[in-house]
Amino acid sequence: MTPFVQARGIGKSFGGLKALDGVDLDIHQGEVLALLGDNGAGKSTFVKILAGAQPQSRGEIRIEGRPVAFASPHDAARAGIATIYQELALSENLNVVENVFLGREVVRRVLGFPWLRRRAMRQRVDTLLRELDAHIPDPLARVGGMSGGQRQAVAIARALDQGGRLVIMDEPTAALAVAETRKVLKLVRQLAARNCAVILISHNIGDVFEVADRMAVFRRGRKIAERQRAATTPDEIVALITGAHPDARTADLAA
Amino acid sequence: MSHELSMPRTPRTNALRLIDHLGPQAQILAIALFFIACCLVFTFMTDVFATTGNVLNLLRQAAPNLIVAIAMTFVITTGGIDLSVGSIVALTNALAAILLQQGLPWPLTILAILLVGGLVGLIQGWFIAYQGIPAFIVTLAGLSILRGVALLMTQGFSIPIASGTGFTALGRGWFLGMPAPAILAILAALAGLITLSRTVYGRHIVAIGANSEAARRTGIPTRRLTASVYVMSGTAAALAGIVIAARLGSGSSNAAVGFELDVIAAVVLGGTALIGGRGTIVGTLLGALTIACIGNGLILIHISPFFTQIVTGAVILIAIWLNTRLFSKLGRRR
Ligand SMILES: Nc1ncnc2c1ncn2[C@@H]1O[C@H](COP(=O)(O)OP(=O)(O)O)[C@@H](O)[C@H]1O
Ligand SMILES: [Mg+2]
Repeated sequence: MTPFVQARGIGKSFGGLKALDGVDLDIHQGEVLALLGDNGAGKSTFVKILAGAQPQSRGEIRIEGRPVAFASPHDAARAGIATIYQELALSENLNVVENVFLGREVVRRVLGFPWLRRRAMRQRVDTLLRELDAHIPDPLARVGGMSGGQRQAVAIARALDQGGRLVIMDEPTAALAVAETRKVLKLVRQLAARNCAVILISHNIGDVFEVADRMAVFRRGRKIAERQRAATTPDEIVALITGAHPDARTADLAA
Repeated sequence: MSHELSMPRTPRTNALRLIDHLGPQAQILAIALFFIACCLVFTFMTDVFATTGNVLNLLRQAAPNLIVAIAMTFVITTGGIDLSVGSIVALTNALAAILLQQGLPWPLTILAILLVGGLVGLIQGWFIAYQGIPAFIVTLAGLSILRGVALLMTQGFSIPIASGTGFTALGRGWFLGMPAPAILAILAALAGLITLSRTVYGRHIVAIGANSEAARRTGIPTRRLTASVYVMSGTAAALAGIVIAARLGSGSSNAAVGFELDVIAAVVLGGTALIGGRGTIVGTLLGALTIACIGNGLILIHISPFFTQIVTGAVILIAIWLNTRLFSKLGRRR
């Protein structure tokens, strides 16, 4: 089966700095792929390119085998790539339903004017939240009063409703308490169960081993290793990240 | 925000969630109670206040403020402000009298005046939304420039408007047993209410005020919408200018001095947050009526008109103070 996304030889330079260098990576639907690496390894830069937030300097992105060039996050969203930003892009004074549909409201035209179909939107959100098993008692409550985990759930529901087939999460649990983190990890698995592809960036090895099917380790802008979860251990991944692993040293010498 | 998220729930954040939940309703309830209290006080202190004649008169007088306050609610909900509305009233008020004097038929005059108001709003909106100049600065400049233009056009004289035409009927006429201006205000309030809560446009206006970056990322044309609210306030101010000219039977560049403050006071008194992202038309309606009520009642109990200004000012101060106390906390959480 063709991978949903194929990244080939992706490079990115900021002036003289090579933030990414020749990265090849496949992303499959129904699979959680974790990106690991030290700070500055290039993980965020890589997902920003996938999300259309930055253009790559070199290389090619293919979606279902077809080369694409994203001019904006909108292009990427149309291709089914949804990003959940670190600083969640939600409107605190709007309720859950309004946030999920913000910018894509369901309307009915009466007298030429678009009127909100509030009941239809409400029902859709109820369904999404139930499927995600998200604990949000009142979808008409304002997002401003919600916990970090609940906000993640709202953002994920939004991504799903947009027809997201690849959901990118850059350190979604970095600011969450333990119980909240558990909920978000559960949501990640729910996404994969719905045949979404998920890219998860996280510094927490425990979290990664709990949800990821596959892991890719970045170091100084290169992808130095790729492992199936069953075929590796936390110790090996940590060694790859820190550079203690022989593979990492070989990669350092080649650079 | 990231720090806030990892913070355990303390009693303080619980209190904030309560305000979060009750905030809008509590504020509307508070202003409604205050309005009723004002009405009761004046009803007991004078024989005239609660008569049909006076209530209709009060509605007629409150209409221009109300019409503009509805539009101002949209402006403030985006996080903006329009200080130029009083000067737009003066400009359009004088211009209407001049055009009628020149013999332009009154329906065309009204159309032209509304277009002028919208155009002035468009120009200000362009500076604010597309050039990134703060709304306070742009409309403060507008306040000065437009009043100046009005003075220049009239040379400071008041220009009479012939009575008995359809034009003056807009200010003095009756319709369904109500003064025509009151009917216009009610229509404006209904349109505002439906637009803010039931249309995509209204929801996007709230989204822009709440988090304009998030709104932009979802593909909402934030700049176009931001500019549009100033077109709305400009047009509403022009309508108010027409109503005032029609009621007084003259156009004057000295009309509506300090009008913008009464309008903003009505909006803020009603519970619309000055930081944007939260607006209520019902609140604005109550706010405008309260201000009209205080002005009317104090005159009826023969208190010096100077005192009216003091009381109105004090009420505004207290309202904005409460508003800021309650909502700055919410604002800081972003
Ligand atoms: N907009 C930018 N301008 C210049 N340098 C950048 C920019 N974005 C990222 N970088 C640099 O690119 C490298 C990779 O950064 P990043 O992708 O954020 O790493 P990670 O997410 O793995 O911590 C870093 O050296 C960073 O300083
Ligand atoms: Mg990063």
